[in-house]
Amino acid sequence: MSKPQGKIVIVPCSGIGKSFGTVSRVAAYQVTEEDRPEQTQLVPLALLVMGDEEYHKVITENQAITIDGCKLACATKMVQQSGGHVMQNFAVLEVFRRYRDFKPQGIAELNEGGEKLADALAKEIDAVVDGASTPAEGDSHA
Amino acid sequence: MAAFLETTVDKFTFRVDPTCFYNGDGIWVRMEDNLARLGLSDYVQQRSGDIAFVDIKPEGTRLAFGDYFGSIETIKVDVSLTSPVAGKVVRVNPALQSAPEIINQDPFGDGWLCEVECSDWENSRSRLMDASAYFEKMKNAAEDEVRSK
Repeated sequence: MSKPQGKIVIVPCSGIGKSFGTVSRVAAYQVTEEDRPEQTQLVPLALLVMGDEEYHKVITENQAITIDGCKLACATKMVQQSGGHVMQNFAVLEVFRRYRDFKPQGIAELNEGGEKLADALAKEIDAVVDGASTPAEGDSHA
Repeated sequence: MAAFLETTVDKFTFRVDPTCFYNGDGIWVRMEDNLARLGLSDYVQQRSGDIAFVDIKPEGTRLAFGDYFGSIETIKVDVSLTSPVAGKVVRVNPALQSAPEIINQDPFGDGWLCEVECSDWENSRSRLMDASAYFEKMKNAAEDEVRSK
């Protein structure tokens, strides 16, 4: 199994005014700035939509983890349309179904449930990043 | 199958199944022999948002007209479900457990909630709206909501 050579790109939902969008972005910040800054890089969805050349290059040269705030799945679709490869997609609604006690509310600032849901989501993403970063059995370390 | 009644308000299109009766909370009931199939109207499911969890009273539960028979939880709201019929719950849609989103996807079809063996359908029927009446109520509510924004 081939492993990503560069950083794994994290692309969260850009939905403004929705709690699930905020949860996706808070989780993305946590992964890229606190939990796994060496292995991951945040790519703002808005810049992909605007056709930013630098980020377009980053997307096409690295594997991506997308976080969608609703069923429109803009993050996943935009990465695919940009020629990128989505190695894993997370839908915040599905994550919420796994953590029913963490009901998110708030937009600019999440409530406690939202913060906990974002943390749970971040940890699931961390696990995917770790799995992708760990050399597969039989890989050469020379 | 008869064509849906349909209206577009703002950017949303709402449908009403003409073969159903409705209570004031937007719960529909479709009768077949003495068995009532219950579900959530298209308007209520769209207004509530993506459904994360559904809890329906278990099979064997006896309901009076207007009784609480379950709830849905979305990211925006928790909605209590009130029964449009009296009788006994004989079947809960098994698909809801693993895929509650089918209520959003197909509220009048695969997204049905439960089936109730009716004890007094004619009495319940007299307290429900037919599709035309519900359509007008729903349309007015949707338009009021847009005006109040």
